[in-house]
Amino acid sequence: MGVDHATLGILLLMVALIGPVIWYIRYARTGAPLYVRRIAGIDAIDEATGRAAEIGRPMSFSTGLLSITPALYACLGVLFHVARKAARYGSRLLIPQNDPQVVAVVEDTLRDAYRVEGKAAFFDSKNVVFLSEEQFAFAAGYMGLIQRENVGAAFLFGAFAAESLMLAEAGQQVGAMQVAASLSPEQVPYFICTCDYTLIGEELYGAAAYLTKEPVQLGSLYGQDRAKLVFFCLIILGVVIATYNSFAAIYGWSSIINVVEVLRLEAW
Amino acid sequence: MGVRVVLIRLVTFLGGLYFFLKFVLPEASGFSQYHEQISDGFVLVGAMALALGLINLLMVHGSRLLYLRRGWSASTALLFGLFLMLTVTFLDWQATSGIYRNTERLLVLKQFSEGIVSDAAEGIVPKYEAAHVSENAAALGALAIAPRTPEVRVQFLRHALDDLLPTIEHERDEAVARVRAHGGTAELALLDRAEKEYVEALQVLQSARVQIPSELPVVGGVVGGVVEGVGQESAPVVFSGEPVLALGRALGKVASAYQGLQEASYRTSLLRRIYSVLFDGFFISLGAAMFSLLGFYICAAAYRAFRVRSMESLLMMMAALLVMLGQIPFGLWISDSLPEVRLWLLQVPSTGAARAIEIGASVAGLVMAFRMWLSIESESFK
Repeated sequence: MGVDHATLGILLLMVALIGPVIWYIRYARTGAPLYVRRIAGIDAIDEATGRAAEIGRPMSFSTGLLSITPALYACLGVLFHVARKAARYGSRLLIPQNDPQVVAVVEDTLRDAYRVEGKAAFFDSKNVVFLSEEQFAFAAGYMGLIQRENVGAAFLFGAFAAESLMLAEAGQQVGAMQVAASLSPEQVPYFICTCDYTLIGEELYGAAAYLTKEPVQLGSLYGQDRAKLVFFCLIILGVVIATYNSFAAIYGWSSIINVVEVLRLEAW
Repeated sequence: MGVRVVLIRLVTFLGGLYFFLKFVLPEASGFSQYHEQISDGFVLVGAMALALGLINLLMVHGSRLLYLRRGWSASTALLFGLFLMLTVTFLDWQATSGIYRNTERLLVLKQFSEGIVSDAAEGIVPKYEAAHVSENAAALGALAIAPRTPEVRVQFLRHALDDLLPTIEHERDEAVARVRAHGGTAELALLDRAEKEYVEALQVLQSARVQIPSELPVVGGVVGGVVEGVGQESAPVVFSGEPVLALGRALGKVASAYQGLQEASYRTSLLRRIYSVLFDGFFISLGAAMFSLLGFYICAAAYRAFRVRSMESLLMMMAALLVMLGQIPFGLWISDSLPEVRLWLLQVPSTGAARAIEIGASVAGLVMAFRMWLSIESESFK
């Protein structure tokens, strides 16, 4: 007996998802121009780094409770950009961390950013601070760090839970310009209330592509948009079929098999 | 491309391929049969990372403390806390595993009794098991080499129980004496409850135990259906499983009550009290104190959010007002339909928006995962 996801339909759906991504990455590598619309929150990243440098205050970048997941790599793209700016302007970039494994990856990204800017000598691993794996101990450490160092710009990109408001309020209290990005819809309202700019959901994944304009990231962004279109069409089709089936039950018409049932059909 | 890069990409690809196939292929394909061993490998890597982390902590904070560099006092607090919690937690783990040892032995006997009955029903005769059931296999004498008919296995069960019960009784007496001497009100209450349960369960166990014969039935030179000789078969003996099952149920109850007694006793120990002060007294309380800050921050954030400066904030405020009013009796007094409006706001626009965000983020996450699997990396990570 198979399980729900071990079906031909799901496999085909995965191909439909990854196919456009690979195609667009190859397309972007040929040098073809790919347009990405402006997002105010992403533009604000450059504004915040510049502002912190002007007023001579450090910056902070936190990935929250994020462990090593695909979302971390999206955050690392933004971190790489922010770190390059920090290296260029000579600003101090503090990176408070919650996960010991992420510390190593973040440290490496930071080192690379300084090296790319030709400022490898200015890289200081002590700026990547491991605080705690415990949620509220991390929040307490972060708040203390933001207050002590009097940061001028704070970036909250990653996974956050109940501590999101504490972290954002700490930055608000010291008057830091804050840009946040959360994948969790529950935390978005807190960030909207407290931060200057908030990226919602998948905008986090688009941020690095927008900032760096690298072919891989741009192509990936284009591909995933097309994949989303597939999902959108499937949802609309599912709703239409479900509506028809409900009428069919009332008037005695024959019903149609719905999208979810097609995906669950076992073909092995 | 260097060998190192190729190796990393290969390992990443093979790891990703394994998880992809495990997800896509049905369980019946047999692909998942080694999943537990592979998962153990991940635990092993995690343990290595943990060890490396500990070494790093010791090096960074130890050197800061040794050379009295900036922040040495914080490093001292960190190292002190680390060693204290490590020591206390290790000792606590050791002590609690001791508590559960006898409970586990009782539960093994319970499972054994159930196994005897189910095997008898299915006609299964296992070859070897005396050593698993009784620690004193030599005392079983002729039984140790007898074929494992249900009657012989019941005798194993009986022997094992006779071995274990004096130990359990002795430890129970010690636990009761310890709690009576050192326990507080909470421990004494726990003890009384557990002791009552234990006495009742033990009575049931003893009455179930006497239902089981202390020796194998002998029918014309046949012991438990095995002729004491070679090449002769016995007349079939009808096996009754109900007394064995009753014994198994009683064993489960005794195990539960015995564990309660041991826990009450352990609570009176100095180690448990130190652990309780450190964990419940400091750790949990500090976490709760941090969490309570949220109440104040929510007020401050709400104040900022509800200052009507734009169309969006006006909409947000109106939605929040309707949801709040729909949740309190005052709202019901204003209009009967407010709770329905609140529900509609939460279930239709809010849930719809949340799902849209989640679908978008999930698709993007999946694409990123595929990129990682296939090592299609951006320039940032090269």
